Amino acid sequence: MKRYAYYMSCINESMTKEVDRSIDFWQKDLGLEFIKLHEGTCCGGSNLDYVSPKHFALVNARNIALAEKMGLDLIVSCNTCLMTIRTAKKQLDETPALKKEVNDILKKEGLEYRGISEVRHLLWVLVDDVGLDTIKAKVTVPLKNYRIAPFYGCHILRPSKVLGRDNPLAPSSLDQLIEALGGQTIPFEHKNRCCGFHTLLVAEEESLNVAGEALEEAINSKADFIVTPCPLCHTVLDGYQSKALKQAHIESSIPVFHISEMVGLALGYTAKQLGIKRHIVS
Amino acid sequence: MNSRKELINHSLMTGKIDQYQEGKRDVTFRVFRFNPQVDSKPYFDDYTISAERGITVLRSLNYIKEHVDATLSFRAFCQAGICGSCGMRVNGISKLACTSQVWDELDKCREPGIIKVEPLRSLPMIKDLIVDMDPLVDKMTRYSNWIETTMPLPDIGKKEFLISEEEFHKYDKATDCILCASCVSECSILRANKEYVSPAVLLKSYRMNVDSRDALHDVRLSELVKDHGVWDCTHCYRCQESCVKSIPIMEAIHAIREDALECRGPKDTSGAKHAEAFMEDIEKKGKLVEATLPIRTNGMVWTLRNLLPMAMKMIVKRRTPPPPPLVKSAKGIKIFRAMFREMSEHVKQDHQKSQKK
Repeated sequence: MKRYAYYMSCINESMTKEVDRSIDFWQKDLGLEFIKLHEGTCCGGSNLDYVSPKHFALVNARNIALAEKMGLDLIVSCNTCLMTIRTAKKQLDETPALKKEVNDILKKEGLEYRGISEVRHLLWVLVDDVGLDTIKAKVTVPLKNYRIAPFYGCHILRPSKVLGRDNPLAPSSLDQLIEALGGQTIPFEHKNRCCGFHTLLVAEEESLNVAGEALEEAINSKADFIVTPCPLCHTVLDGYQSKALKQAHIESSIPVFHISEMVGLALGYTAKQLGIKRHIVS
Repeated sequence: MNSRKELINHSLMTGKIDQYQEGKRDVTFRVFRFNPQVDSKPYFDDYTISAERGITVLRSLNYIKEHVDATLSFRAFCQAGICGSCGMRVNGISKLACTSQVWDELDKCREPGIIKVEPLRSLPMIKDLIVDMDPLVDKMTRYSNWIETTMPLPDIGKKEFLISEEEFHKYDKATDCILCASCVSECSILRANKEYVSPAVLLKSYRMNVDSRDALHDVRLSELVKDHGVWDCTHCYRCQESCVKSIPIMEAIHAIREDALECRGPKDTSGAKHAEAFMEDIEKKGKLVEATLPIRTNGMVWTLRNLLPMAMKMIVKRRTPPPPPLVKSAKGIKIFRAMFREMSEHVKQDHQKSQKK
């Protein structure tokens, strides 16, 4: 059994509960054990870093230090949390004075940020640690009749100096996972583009234009569904889909799945078990 | 064995012609064509030329223009990655043609052996690969992308401005920008709305705003926080990733936001309110209180008008975020809060120190 500390993203505890719920169903099937970090706090959502860079460093040094105390890598299932925590880690590792300042405070909780735990995405664990062959062998309900549009989102790819797992111009890990589960990936220009989430409340029209373009391509490509490794992308592409498509004057719809649900379906769990019925677009 | 002739002779003598052939091959450039005075719509022309290893996309376009089709239009000048004139999309990515190696691009072709060349996006087209840079220049004007000196007129030419090394490092990287507009072409929000300030102009604005010689900081900042300004950036990092000079553009954008929060306060705009909400929630609960985020960002009226229909659907699907009292605080919140506040004291002290300077 491979053990990891599991970071609980705010959105997965509120709007996209189906992500953690579906992981709970299949983690043991793939020889994984995710230990939830109930002490973990919000990463700052790509905002705290400029509101207060020092609080940003403290909060995320602590998130990583909690995993380090357990001697485990920190696994994240939200792209923005991934990018944010890895950005903090890079800053802490490259700035000894900041690391010291933060550690002087973390002492109060008996914690120390050492920089020894990796911060990785669930998708990377599946493809790199579990391995595609093992996943293939565990599939009981191959997704063979489905044409799937892989939507990576931004913060699992860019900035590449912080992320570094996939080529941001031609990412492949999600495509590989889909194929290992028996699905057929379609060529998808928008696979490495933006969903518009981070400006939804500030520049809604622009955000919906951004999301609408991706949805339009997936619909025109006759994809059966979109799959994404990020609950924020899912929230826009699923939750705001009707609004985005209305703005783009498109009368159609397309379901959007989390990777955790796609894995669950291929391993034989039902849509009901995995929480797929919670999606806005069915 | 330096010259091509020597290489050929060597190949002939040894019979090893692969080495020579590897250094030269036929490459097709599929080039976007459009002359609005003649053409009803854009089209692509294929030009197949024999290209040697080491040749750039720009050298290939020059060859095509000189030897194959003189009507092909593109902008270029220095041919050395300095002037920023030859920004275009090569195999779908905005970059400089003069620093893009044909051999590298061959690895990125969607159709083997065919390099696609198109104009930059999000700027009006003039002809073929030439786009109109005027909208970008107009934005540079709107956002005062220049220094207006703080030095009294009688002192100009008589006194020096002394700049600390610390200050120089703040804008050192930003001054590397050559206005090639690759970031403009790749920007997600600009693609969605042409009114958006654009990454290049945000970078220039940052560069001017951190310069102690400049007198326009407040004027510039007040323009940057308006609609289509700094808060509309969606953090996609495409600008930074495509920058031909590897300038951390997102850091500059974040720095403008940090400056806006400090100089204009957290209640200034919806963007500022939204950002500040993260700080408040983390200190209070360690978790984001998503249910009230739209209200705190845009007020109740906006939230009801814009989000009520969706909220109804979410209620049906049991997808609504929990109301504030039901958001569970992170485990160990008391000690976390104490540490968070201790860091607030550090930040205060840093601020006092920087003001003394």
